Amino acid sequence: MQQHRELSEKQINTQLLNGALATPGWWKFAVIGLALIVLAGFATFGFMVNSGIGLTGKSRPVFWGALITTFVFWVGISHAGIMISAILRLTQAEWRRPVTRAAELLTVFSLITALTFPIIHAGRPWRIIYWIIPYDFSRGIWPNVRSPLVWDPAAIGTYLTGSILFLYVALLPDLGNLRDRTIGWRNTLYSVLSLGWRGNSRQWRLQTTAGILLSALMLPIFVSVHSIVSWDFAVTSGVEGWHSTIFAPYFVIGAVHSGVAAVVTMMALMRWLWKWDNFIRPEHFDALARLLIVVGTTWFAFTMIEILYSLYSLEAQELAFRDMQIFQWPWALLFVIFLITGFFIPVPAWFFKRVRNSIPLMFWTSISVNIGMWLERFLIIVPSLARKQPFVYTWGSYHPSLVEIMMILWSLAFVAMNMLLFARFFPLVPLFEQKESQVFSSKIKIGRASVPAVLREREQE
Amino acid sequence: MARKSILGLYETPDAGADALDGLHAAGIEAHDTEVLTGTPYPEGAFGEHVPQHRLFRFPAFGAVFGFTLALLYTAGTQLAWPLVTGGKPILAVPAMLIILYEFTMLNAVIFTVVGIIFESRLPNLFSTAAYDRRISEGLIGVVVSCEDNKASEVESVLRRAGALEIKTA
Amino acid sequence: MASNITAAPDHRPTFREAAAHLVAQGRTAASGARLWILLLLAVTVVGVIGVVGRIAGGFEDRTAWGYYAAVVSFLLSTAAAAPMVSIAPTLARASWVRPVTRVSQLFASVGVVTALLYIPLMFALPPLVEDGVRRRSIWFGSPPLTPHVWGSVAILGLVFIGLALLWASSIPDLRTVAETATGMRRRIARRLAMGFIGTDTQWKALRMRIGVLGAFYFVFLVFTHLVFSADFAVALVAGWKDAIFPMFHAMTSLQSGLASTIIAAFFIRKFGRLERYLELDQFWAMSKLMFATSLLWFYFFFSAFIVFWYGRTASDQAIIDTMVGGPYRWAFIATFMMSFVIPLFTLMWNPVRHSIKGPTIIASIILAGMFLDRIRIYAAAWSARGINDKFIREVPATHWPDIFDVLVIVGAVGAAALAFLLATRLVPAVSLWEIQYMRLLTRPVRFGKGHAVIIAKPD
Repeated sequence: MQQHRELSEKQINTQLLNGALATPGWWKFAVIGLALIVLAGFATFGFMVNSGIGLTGKSRPVFWGALITTFVFWVGISHAGIMISAILRLTQAEWRRPVTRAAELLTVFSLITALTFPIIHAGRPWRIIYWIIPYDFSRGIWPNVRSPLVWDPAAIGTYLTGSILFLYVALLPDLGNLRDRTIGWRNTLYSVLSLGWRGNSRQWRLQTTAGILLSALMLPIFVSVHSIVSWDFAVTSGVEGWHSTIFAPYFVIGAVHSGVAAVVTMMALMRWLWKWDNFIRPEHFDALARLLIVVGTTWFAFTMIEILYSLYSLEAQELAFRDMQIFQWPWALLFVIFLITGFFIPVPAWFFKRVRNSIPLMFWTSISVNIGMWLERFLIIVPSLARKQPFVYTWGSYHPSLVEIMMILWSLAFVAMNMLLFARFFPLVPLFEQKESQVFSSKIKIGRASVPAVLREREQE
Repeated sequence: MARKSILGLYETPDAGADALDGLHAAGIEAHDTEVLTGTPYPEGAFGEHVPQHRLFRFPAFGAVFGFTLALLYTAGTQLAWPLVTGGKPILAVPAMLIILYEFTMLNAVIFTVVGIIFESRLPNLFSTAAYDRRISEGLIGVVVSCEDNKASEVESVLRRAGALEIKTA
Repeated sequence: MASNITAAPDHRPTFREAAAHLVAQGRTAASGARLWILLLLAVTVVGVIGVVGRIAGGFEDRTAWGYYAAVVSFLLSTAAAAPMVSIAPTLARASWVRPVTRVSQLFASVGVVTALLYIPLMFALPPLVEDGVRRRSIWFGSPPLTPHVWGSVAILGLVFIGLALLWASSIPDLRTVAETATGMRRRIARRLAMGFIGTDTQWKALRMRIGVLGAFYFVFLVFTHLVFSADFAVALVAGWKDAIFPMFHAMTSLQSGLASTIIAAFFIRKFGRLERYLELDQFWAMSKLMFATSLLWFYFFFSAFIVFWYGRTASDQAIIDTMVGGPYRWAFIATFMMSFVIPLFTLMWNPVRHSIKGPTIIASIILAGMFLDRIRIYAAAWSARGINDKFIREVPATHWPDIFDVLVIVGAVGAAALAFLLATRLVPAVSLWEIQYMRLLTRPVRFGKGHAVIIAKPD
């Protein structure tokens, strides 16, 4: 907390509401640019629905390709929010404060984006409804709850609803603040959204308890989501490389790796774009990089154990599959890029304090992680299907078509655009957390040294 | 007799605490006072009445509700269309468990949020109690709800504690 | 905002009080514990008889060694994991852990018992190549005795690092013991204190040593569980391919390591009269972690189970029958209740967590659950036949312990307790310097009219 600079509550309001109460010069250009890509994405999707999914690169036997990869990728990114918000809240890590909201927001938008991908992938979106929701009374056909494809929406729906509610509850005090700073229709909007927040002891007490209680409830959901996504693959015994018991925790830890890296990317952008140097400081990047070293190394260990146990039984097909996935063109190239960008560049780099405290370097290493993590999902899904099983008569290959690449671009633009739109109306850094951090920060004098300290209430969980 | 809501604004938490002390000494009931701040302070920092809540009941109730709902969904749909797939039993417990779990947690979260809003005594959109926008800029507000005839006494107590301003609603 | 913080009366023991109390506690405990030591020694002898009896029965019948392997695994999953309770929170700079660091690290002394028990088990483990046929293992084409070598490296390494960690973190206290104790205890303490007098450089070196050894201990613990679970359980069952199992093994050991520390802290607090040092905060914090690890117990179990259950290949079904739903169903159900259901529905209530007896009772249940868990895994794995088959064709029937197994179980627990007790005779069971450090870094204060504590977070 050495880089901490004490500000008055008024100063905090002024600085952190600079995006919500005014329009930064670059904002319009960025939003318009992103909106154009988003519109192009919608148009591409329309074109695909009209022409059929033959426009994608999918064909026998690879029926899951870049779209499903991107679905898993965004579910992975969504693990940022609860990792930062819930785990760090429960462990009372002070440095979480400036990043909680942005991380929760990233969760919400990445989950919404993730949910669209199976719909895009299926090509006939209207059919998905009765696969999940029991509404088709006339035909008497009901969802098959034994299918992991029904578990997925249950888990993601739960996580998305929970995340939105979590975000909203933690937004209430700041909505009250915005109401106090605005006039006209925006004042009416914030008054209604803040539900008449006053900031009395009861409301603050509930707010604090809610943070802990919701964190404790969201945490098991967070773990279940990517586990269930992993079971889309792992419970299938017919596809080489998929039927592995380690998949659930392996996917979760990989998701945390990519999610926390995405938070780093976002924090760097927030600091540069809104000039929040007082709030998002090198110490926060340092702490996140330390966390990422642990997470990244654990993920790498899981990767190795996964490969070790797939070779363990020495079955010819499994060996042949791994040979193809790791050593044969073009998968070998992707595999090398995946390992280098996902682990060997970023993680060793973070061991150096200079890297951890350099915002541009943290930005680029975090981008590197997510390139690696997208490829990881691609390499899990596609090569396995390309070989599938001994009795498949075609061993085709796959490459993403332009339509699929456009949808991937769309997803990036869609998440970024929504984040910017949100930031125009609501603060991305929670104001009350920032103020609370000042109230609760202190110093202890030990001899001549003055050691930074935090205040903790007694008898409160 | 009509009741009034009187707000005293203070610059420091200490002054706010003094005001609350003065009010208690003047015989104002704890539940008629309210401390408003723009940031959470440690509990009891102003010597204020620490409110009790029943928030923990909400997730428990939500969990039971969610579990029941999920049981109906998972068991009901399978029994209504009893098609054996993949050699699994019609009521395949491990598979059902996943959906039971998600619904249970989902409803626990929804009910918790309802509980938070309810226990925070929100929504409170048409409140007539005194308020000042500067509270969210760092001032401490002490609000007293009292009978009309006590208003002047309350105001003088608030002023004695160093109120920057007194507002009445 | 620091102006609102005022000093509150500090009732915590001063350094002098703590030094007198904690070192004296070692002395009184030493004299009071003599009876216990004799008793545990007798139990250990009983265990030795069991081990000798087991060895005399020969190594050919693998089934007979199932319970023995379960006991070694149990010690690896409880005592060997206990030091992690001090390592992980210390790395996360949690201040609550300081009074219990020593309690958890003292479990490193049990490593000696684990290592000794491991030696005969090594002979019972079949080599990789038998009758010219190589069996499946994580070592693939390595020489036949590779599992034996790496198993030994892992366990001996873990014991060595554990003892080094215990010693390194005891150095400042050993100096205090050398200054105040008498006789042999004084001589040993002086030698082990290595001339520590508390210079700035020595403290820096001490902290670095603890950090490095702690990190190594963690890595070695995971490695040991990986190697031991793979070679002494998974590889013995044909067709059991379970990548999560080593992690399940390691994770559940953290749950039992916490449980062991809680139980030890309870007895040390009660019989050493250390209520002012081992406070409610420590039990509360540990019980929260125990709750979290209990949830993870289910998560890691279910991650494997759902894959086998859904996969429904012959091999998948055979594994479920062997470990979960077959002859060892009784052990699985008991484990499931004791390691997950009971901790979940008790520890989820704050009044249970926020107590001393509550977490201790649950910890005892968890340890019993862990014991049954290791029986279901190891007794079943060591009874499995047809090691080179594609998958297990005949699910092994329940193998019940014979008299030697019972003697080994009782003796191993007794020997573990004895090693722990002997270690507490030399070093204080609560770290004096950590208590002092915590006193320096935390202060009880008043914030306005509320009660609070400030916790310093030095870099």
